Amino acid sequence: MSPGRLIRSVVVAVALLVASGAQAAPAADASAFVVELGEEAVRMLGDKSLTEEQRIANFRRLLNKGFDLRTIGRFVLGRHARQAAPEQLAEYERLFAEFIVKTYATRLGQYEGEQLRVLGAAEDGDSDVMVRSEILVPDGPPVLVDWRVREHEGAQHIVDVAIEGVSMAITQRDEFAAVIQQRGSLAGLNDALRAKIGE
Amino acid sequence: MSPRTVFRTLGIAFVLAAAAACATPPADPGARAEFDAVNDPFEPLNRAVFRFNVAVDDALIRPAAVVYRAVVPDPGQIMVHNFLTNLEAPVVFANDVLQGESERAAITLSRFLMNSTIGFGGFLDPATYAGLERHNEDFGQTVAVWGAGDGAYLMLPLFGPSSPRDTAGLIVDHFLDPFAYIVDDGDHDEWFSVGRLALSAVDLRARHLEELDEIERTSIDFYATVRTLYRQRRAAEIRNGALPPDSAIPAITFEDEAGADGALVRAAE
Repeated sequence: MSPGRLIRSVVVAVALLVASGAQAAPAADASAFVVELGEEAVRMLGDKSLTEEQRIANFRRLLNKGFDLRTIGRFVLGRHARQAAPEQLAEYERLFAEFIVKTYATRLGQYEGEQLRVLGAAEDGDSDVMVRSEILVPDGPPVLVDWRVREHEGAQHIVDVAIEGVSMAITQRDEFAAVIQQRGSLAGLNDALRAKIGE
Repeated sequence: MSPRTVFRTLGIAFVLAAAAACATPPADPGARAEFDAVNDPFEPLNRAVFRFNVAVDDALIRPAAVVYRAVVPDPGQIMVHNFLTNLEAPVVFANDVLQGESERAAITLSRFLMNSTIGFGGFLDPATYAGLERHNEDFGQTVAVWGAGDGAYLMLPLFGPSSPRDTAGLIVDHFLDPFAYIVDDGDHDEWFSVGRLALSAVDLRARHLEELDEIERTSIDFYATVRTLYRQRRAAEIRNGALPPDSAIPAITFEDEAGADGALVRAAE
């Protein structure tokens, strides 16, 4: 092999390595992110010494750390976000975050030893990684859960969770669209959210 | 009146009412696009049927499921579920074959043979322990695999969320089901079918007691939530659990994604 060709192959090999490294990194990062969140959730849910209030406070912390609630809230609102008055939108975003907490808070005490196992990850579009996992339930078949992880300005956040193929973001979007259609405006949805969270 | 006549009468009444109760499409283009995407032109009627179904559930099915869970010990409930599931195997097998899924068809067939024999007529599920996991198929999924779309949303009385495709699938599955013929000894076949249907309803409700109650409690529009859950779940079943193709799942984006300040919304701590 001539020195010229040797150098060329080394350059190609390095380029391929860099390229494959660059491709694999987001998926690996996102998997690690989901694994870490899962472990933290299991630790928190499994800690039976916590009071109800402490558990909810921990859940809020985990939710804020792991999820991009603003992006989710805006996606859920869809076309209605564009037409909304800024103060109504701000009120909606606050109510939406509280609604998510209230929706899941009552289930926090029902933990029965479920474990999260990450199965793999694949890039989806320019900025997202879909992390596939299963939740191992003590007495029952495992539940398939897909996490949509987005990197934004160096930080990773979950923007959607799909359970057995059912996207929580899409479910919420479709429901809120129906509520807005029935009540005629975002203000109507805000009223409904306020009633739901007991404000 | 025989149960079959009851169902037929309900069916005819439903079709007639559907024709009379169409929603008017909105004029605004954004709202119109949403109306088309939701594809629920019979929404006023569907909502009425849904209220009926919820009332039947509150009055009959849910209480039956609660009593069933309280009275029948867990192993008994599991055996009933196994038995009912095993009865569905021939229909699942037929649809595996019709979809050209030979491996899945072989699993379904092996499960049926194993569970019907050493599983004592299906009351036990040794096949799952042998690594042959159960999956579901029906004729609605089969025609979807063949390329048919689901069409408008339909809320069937008692049977719940459906579509023209899945309703046709229900009927075809009934004719594909050997147990609808084998147990035919004069007048008793209908009562076998109806009994099986009722038991299946109680079994299904009992196994989803908390989840369904939770969805009803936390949703603002229960009807709309059930509609989207049903559609997404069906789509996932048709894909056999594969991730949706990129184009099918809308990217979660909006124009000013970072917002003016780039800050994240936080739940109050």
